[in-house]
Amino acid sequence: MSIITRLGVKNTREIARISSLTSSFATQSEPPSPVAPDEFRVLKLRPDPVQERQKREIRRTEVPPPRSTQMKFDQDWGSVWPAARSFHPATVPLPVRQGYPLKNAAPPNKYGNAELMKIPNFLHLTPPVVTKQCEALKKFCTPWPAGLETDEKCEKHFPVEVLTSDYCYSSPTIREPLARVVTIRLKLSTLNLDQHARDKLLRLVGDRYNPEDDLLTITSDRCPTRKQNFEYIEYLLTALYHESWRTEPWEAEKSEADMEYYDWDKSKSRDGLITLYCWPEPPIDNDYETIPHATEYKIAVSDLINNGEDEYSLNKYKEAVKNMLFLEGQEKK
Amino acid sequence: MAFNTLKVENFLRRVSAASIKKYATASEAVQVQEEPPVHFRTAESNPVNHTTQHQERFYTIPNDVYKKLYSGGGLPKEFMKQVKTFNECCFLTRSPTIEILSYLRNTNYNKPVNRYVLYGPSGCGKTLSMAHILHYGLATQKVLIHIPWAPNWFRHPKEVANSTTREGYVDLPIDAAAWLIHFKNQNSQLLEQLKLTTDKEYTWSLRESTPRGVPLMQLIDLGINRVRYASEIIIALTSELKEASIAGKCQTLVMIDGYNIFFTDRTRVFTDAKAMVLPDKVSLTIAALEMTKYDWCNGAVVVSVDQLAVGGKKESDLPRLLLGKAGFEHLDPFMPVSVNPYTDSEFYNVMDYFKDRRWVRNCDDEGLQELKLLSAKNGFKLMNLCAAL
Repeated sequence: MSIITRLGVKNTREIARISSLTSSFATQSEPPSPVAPDEFRVLKLRPDPVQERQKREIRRTEVPPPRSTQMKFDQDWGSVWPAARSFHPATVPLPVRQGYPLKNAAPPNKYGNAELMKIPNFLHLTPPVVTKQCEALKKFCTPWPAGLETDEKCEKHFPVEVLTSDYCYSSPTIREPLARVVTIRLKLSTLNLDQHARDKLLRLVGDRYNPEDDLLTITSDRCPTRKQNFEYIEYLLTALYHESWRTEPWEAEKSEADMEYYDWDKSKSRDGLITLYCWPEPPIDNDYETIPHATEYKIAVSDLINNGEDEYSLNKYKEAVKNMLFLEGQEKK
Repeated sequence: MAFNTLKVENFLRRVSAASIKKYATASEAVQVQEEPPVHFRTAESNPVNHTTQHQERFYTIPNDVYKKLYSGGGLPKEFMKQVKTFNECCFLTRSPTIEILSYLRNTNYNKPVNRYVLYGPSGCGKTLSMAHILHYGLATQKVLIHIPWAPNWFRHPKEVANSTTREGYVDLPIDAAAWLIHFKNQNSQLLEQLKLTTDKEYTWSLRESTPRGVPLMQLIDLGINRVRYASEIIIALTSELKEASIAGKCQTLVMIDGYNIFFTDRTRVFTDAKAMVLPDKVSLTIAALEMTKYDWCNGAVVVSVDQLAVGGKKESDLPRLLLGKAGFEHLDPFMPVSVNPYTDSEFYNVMDYFKDRRWVRNCDDEGLQELKLLSAKNGFKLMNLCAAL
């Protein structure tokens, strides 16, 4: 290759073609040296030393020390942490730790601790802040109505509780379909019902009544607006109440199997007791009051069947039967 | 048909032979009398005198009474084995028995009968309490209507036949005849003394009938010999005894073990068409239910309700659940009497009794404690645990 390069300039035109072909074989492709056009180019057996590339300077932003180190002990925390936000280690001046500890190590500290950031915190609701906010809200409040000092009084004067939900968020529409749902709750004992009416109402409402806390709950979501739903519930409650008080002719057909509880006065037990007491004569009247201890027995049987059988109710039944049937013989002795 | 009669005859021959053997006195073991008084025994063997002062102690049943009362059933099988091993039959006098005996003594017998229902966990002694009361009935000259274990009729019936007189009912002829034999064994002497006669005329078929004024023993014998009519004869017999009790000619003690079977909804009695027969369509049930009604006097009814009678599938041992609605209404008002596991002192007395019989040896205080915990003071479990010691 060096031979070819030494050829005269005259031939360069022809050789250039070859050179361009052969240059791909050159181990080092040299940049065209600044040589005068009439001079030979100098063969450089050792290439020039590579110039050191200038390193890019890395700019480091200066990290100030954590803010918590500069906090004064009597600062106004409410202005440091005014609203709900995720945990920030440099802002919270507390040496909190959280997370799964490694062996023989304490739990991870607060810096770069995802565990602490995951959980919601109430750092914006410290007691002084709450007090301050309440103070600020006080000017919008009206005095508590007289006569409603206690919960009992509230329940007495306002037995019906209306439950609705309001939704607040930023989106193109401020309508929320769930806001139309209206629920009312009231204690059944606040309604004026007799035994028949109460039984009928309970059958009508089905599982909307909770016997544990005596609460009747009615929910409506069938109408498009809250007002309509509320009015519908008002209608339902009125209809329920009046329907319960009405006695239909077919209600007289209620048999023992339809009874919601064991009624001793209509039971075979009562008839049996009266015939047993009058035996061997057939019973004259249907009155059990003349039988000694019959009332006690009645209560015992009703409890045994209505409240379920256990040792206690069975012993009560036993005592009642003993008093009714056996006392006579024992007195004789 | 021929085969059937053959079967019946064979069975009856077997039953009578067995009972005759039991009644024989020749091979009887010699009773050792005058045993030294020990703290767990009482010499008072007459249950009429049993009161709370005999409580928690064993009393011995005379051998002839044992054979008379319990040879046709009435004691658990394991207990019978134990009796044979110990060569004596001893009952522990327990509080439910004492309670019922005191009621029986103090009842006004002009009033309708009182019903007593024994209840409690299996193996705690309901059947043995009934056996004790049965002895009391014998001692007080009561006619004993004793159904040893009613579920046998409905769970293992020997033979099922359609009733000829009652439409839609089925008879259990062999079981009925076997029960009549049991009844005869228990009451023959008393019935001869009382000289009870039939009050009505009964027609069993076109040719066979029983006129008025026939001794009840003759009626019973007819039932034993003519197995076909045994069920009807039991119904007639019970109603006759009821009438006699009302008239004051006799006193009757009705005892039914496993009474709740009469109100169950599952039996193993099947008709020819393989249809299950409920207890209220079995003619023997009529007699049992008639006797447990309140409409008679001069008697007492003691029944027991048991989980085992209905297959042990109920969730408690209490009588209202086991009897069900119909049963409760039938018996109401009744007197529930609970039979509980042994008390501590009863447990130690039972263990002393076992040691006395050389049934348990080398059992120190620790062993006793372990047995107490293992058996949970349940009599049946304790008996089984001690069998290996």
